[in-house]
Amino acid sequence: MASAVEHEWKKSSSELLILSLLEDQSRHGYEIGRLIDIRSGGALHFHVASLYPLLYRLEKRGWIQGRWVEKAGQRRRRYYRLTPVGQRVLVAKRLQWQDFVGAVGRIAGVEHA
Amino acid sequence: MLDWKLEIRKRLVGSNLKPEREAEILDELSNHMQDRYDDLRVQETTHEEAFRDVIRELDLTDLVSELQPSEDIAPQDLVPEGVPAKGQLLSDFLMDLRYAIRTMWKSPGFTAVAALALALGIGANTAVFTVVNTLLLNPLPVEKISTLAALNTTQKKKTAQLGDLQALSFLNLKDLRGRTRAFRSLAGHSSPMAVTMTYKAEPHRIFMELVTSNYFQALGLHPYLGRFFLPDEDIKPGAAAVAVLGYSAWQNRFGGVSDIVGRTIKLNDTAFTVVGIGPKDFKGLYAVFGPDLWVPSMMAEQVLPSSLQKALTDRTIPLFTGIGRLDTSFALPQAQAEMKIAAATLEDEHPDANQGQDIVVRPLIEAAYGPERQALMFGGAFLMAIVGLVLLIACSNVANLLLARATVRRQEIAVRIALGAGRRRLMRQLLTESILLGLLGGVFGFLFGYGGCQLLSSLRPAEYAQNLADLRIDPAVFGFTFAIALVTGLVFGIVPALRSSRTSVSEVLKEETRTAGRTRGRINMANALLAGQVSISLVLLVVAAMFLRSIQHEYTIDPGYQTKHLALFMLYPGQAGYDQTRTEQFYKQARDRVSSIRGIASFSWASNLPLWGRKETGVVIEGQEQRKKSEAISTVVKTIDLDYFATMGVPFVKGRDFTQDDRDRSAPVAIINDTMAAEYWPNQDPLGKRVQLPHGQNFLQIVGIVKTSNYQTLGEPPQACIFIPLRQNFSDGMILYVRTEQNPSTILASVQDEIHNIDPGLAVEDIRTGTKVIDQALWWSKMAVDLLAVFGLLALALASVGLYGIMAYSVNQRRREIGVRMALGAGQGNVWLLVLRQGMTLVLIGLAVGIALALLVGHALSRFLYGVSGNDLLSLGGASLVLLAVAFVACYLPARSASRVDPLVALRSA
Repeated sequence: MASAVEHEWKKSSSELLILSLLEDQSRHGYEIGRLIDIRSGGALHFHVASLYPLLYRLEKRGWIQGRWVEKAGQRRRRYYRLTPVGQRVLVAKRLQWQDFVGAVGRIAGVEHA
Repeated sequence: MLDWKLEIRKRLVGSNLKPEREAEILDELSNHMQDRYDDLRVQETTHEEAFRDVIRELDLTDLVSELQPSEDIAPQDLVPEGVPAKGQLLSDFLMDLRYAIRTMWKSPGFTAVAALALALGIGANTAVFTVVNTLLLNPLPVEKISTLAALNTTQKKKTAQLGDLQALSFLNLKDLRGRTRAFRSLAGHSSPMAVTMTYKAEPHRIFMELVTSNYFQALGLHPYLGRFFLPDEDIKPGAAAVAVLGYSAWQNRFGGVSDIVGRTIKLNDTAFTVVGIGPKDFKGLYAVFGPDLWVPSMMAEQVLPSSLQKALTDRTIPLFTGIGRLDTSFALPQAQAEMKIAAATLEDEHPDANQGQDIVVRPLIEAAYGPERQALMFGGAFLMAIVGLVLLIACSNVANLLLARATVRRQEIAVRIALGAGRRRLMRQLLTESILLGLLGGVFGFLFGYGGCQLLSSLRPAEYAQNLADLRIDPAVFGFTFAIALVTGLVFGIVPALRSSRTSVSEVLKEETRTAGRTRGRINMANALLAGQVSISLVLLVVAAMFLRSIQHEYTIDPGYQTKHLALFMLYPGQAGYDQTRTEQFYKQARDRVSSIRGIASFSWASNLPLWGRKETGVVIEGQEQRKKSEAISTVVKTIDLDYFATMGVPFVKGRDFTQDDRDRSAPVAIINDTMAAEYWPNQDPLGKRVQLPHGQNFLQIVGIVKTSNYQTLGEPPQACIFIPLRQNFSDGMILYVRTEQNPSTILASVQDEIHNIDPGLAVEDIRTGTKVIDQALWWSKMAVDLLAVFGLLALALASVGLYGIMAYSVNQRRREIGVRMALGAGQGNVWLLVLRQGMTLVLIGLAVGIALALLVGHALSRFLYGVSGNDLLSLGGASLVLLAVAFVACYLPARSASRVDPLVALRSA
């Protein structure tokens, strides 16, 4: 039951998470997954199975763009960055999210930070 | 690094990725797994545990399905989901625009064909609108035209008929100016009149208008150069010989020299100083024909022909149309009432001149067209309707192309809907594409329209091209073209866009591109559009054919005289300063010299060109009771010399021609036509009876009766006419009529030389052959018919290209079906027939509808046709045949290609 809820929740918010993480700098897939894990204090996990379908979908929509980067002494990795379209989508999604959380908070009586 | 790739590859089985893409994914995922493994190992797990955990996390079902469906869609082409409309309209629009440009760029063939079809339609509309705008909507570039009115005289009983409007006499105008309160200023202008202008010793015939000094100021105009007339230049007759030159006369006759102001030109025999140049677009107050220059009214005696020289002092000579600027506190009806009273006062004060006369006040814009107003209005509306239909065909053509393309793009659109693009959003995107296409067509259409206007301008008769209105491309034309381009984009885009956005995602995604069965609905829509195009083009063709036949008939009208061996030379010795004795001497000299030229059968002098007859009202018949002024006899009056009827080939019914003995000392005589004889002397012999002309002192004895011919327009109803001999009725400007044995153009130069030998200072500019007179009389109708023919053919071309396109497309869609049929034994002939039947059925349906419509339209137009009925079989049949032939070719080509389908290739490729 818990995993079904998490699945639904993830689906609606994960795009926002990924776009947010790519806002300042480009990152590779594993880094994105790990950052989500760390910053959520272990509450959210993204594995290969869930992360890459999402990345590829966002890339296909033109919101993010990946390219291979080789750094000295490291393996070749695919880094993703936000496109201008993605930038605009992120702004919009943030607003939506704020409205949503605010609304839920007001109804559920949870103090909004 | 461990080898993760084997595990990943196992899980990617069935994803049908391209090898390069698969390699990339393998690289990326194995990197990820290695990182994960390394992290787990750092947390002190064993190799086995870490390896197992990593592999357990590797569930690629989601990834495989994510990679599946829309493999071949370029990612950047997708409309992003979730971008809200609020506050994002502009960025959405820009995105749509970019996308539309890319789509158009990707299919240049489609874009070119569609834009060309639209450009032709829009171009035709732009050209016709420019004409309508110049002549009808916005004819006079004067200030606040709505507060300007034109004043004319009319007989009280006939006020309803505008054709009977006459000018005001100078003295009446002067009295009105002193009495009006409704008009802040009241000016007057004559109609354009021919004068001889001599500049650098070369005589030219040009058109001049006499105006009161406040004319330009009343119209709110400003000179392009120099100044207009001053009030004190219009007080003393003959005192101020100054002239304002029209802009185009300055450009065309003086090469636009900058120091024109202050130069001297000679008008007739008087030197005038040019004081200014009129505004650029201003060519007088008649929308169609304007003067080359303006002269103050006080110079009337110096520039007018002898018959009008007393215009400033004689209250019976109508010369000026009044132009009034309404005072702000008055409206037109009040001005009309005021003028009615003023007319009554004038009638009381000067009953001889003004009996039974009223003053008509009309808005200037109405007066601007003269008596041709109705014909022009109708012609304008009619041509707009015609080009509107041409544009409609172009639109339905492009709509068809879009519908056909929509089938190809269904998959793309379905994917976009699946990815969350809203229907409304999608429609907006598709409409952006079609409007962009419309605007592209608009740009080229504007260029076509501009070219069309240039072409139309170049078709104006060269003799007075500069006096005719210039077609103006002004902001209104820009606005019009832009608006129709926009509307066009919407019209042809909306149906395909609606249909496309209604695409059912699941069906389309499952469906493969080759199945054409589901596109029936589209084909039906396309068929309806096609049949519609066929019927509209038929209507246009039939209309063009009917008018073509009508003008052919007009050319066969017998004007009542010969035109094939006729040459005409206009000569105004009076304008060169000749007095009566010298003029008479000149007429005699010219006769002597011309008679020595070989190839001339006979010649004569007459006061008017053929079809330029002048009517006079108030003819008195001796012995009949005095008629009221409103019932006065009105006839054409022509002054002619000996041998006129022989030269023109007009036969005598009775009596004799004028002879050498009919001279100023002998009894005054006249010849009448048989229409006049029948009308005023029914069952009597008019020979020997006497008539008096309106301004004549003597009664003239009728000595001959000739056959009636056309005096004012071709094919006119018979009019009464009185001919009087030149030798008893002096005129200082006459036209030399020459009948030649051969083609008249061969003797034109020799006659001109002989006249030049008599006096190089005489202008012999306006030389015409008889056939040219007829051409000019029919010029307007000919031009209109040419335009109709062009538009009819344009419609036919567009419709047949559309037919060809849709047939070729449908054959392509049915390739597989045709392949199957052929594989099952259908012969080439059967396939050929199948396709041909499909196309020609449509054509025949369109034809049937078209014939019905053409009959209706023909009926409505029948009163504008000459000698052709509104259901003219030849026009209907001819147009139908042409259309059938062209449509057959348009269907034949795709049918032939269908019959050449190789079943093996078709089935394999499908």
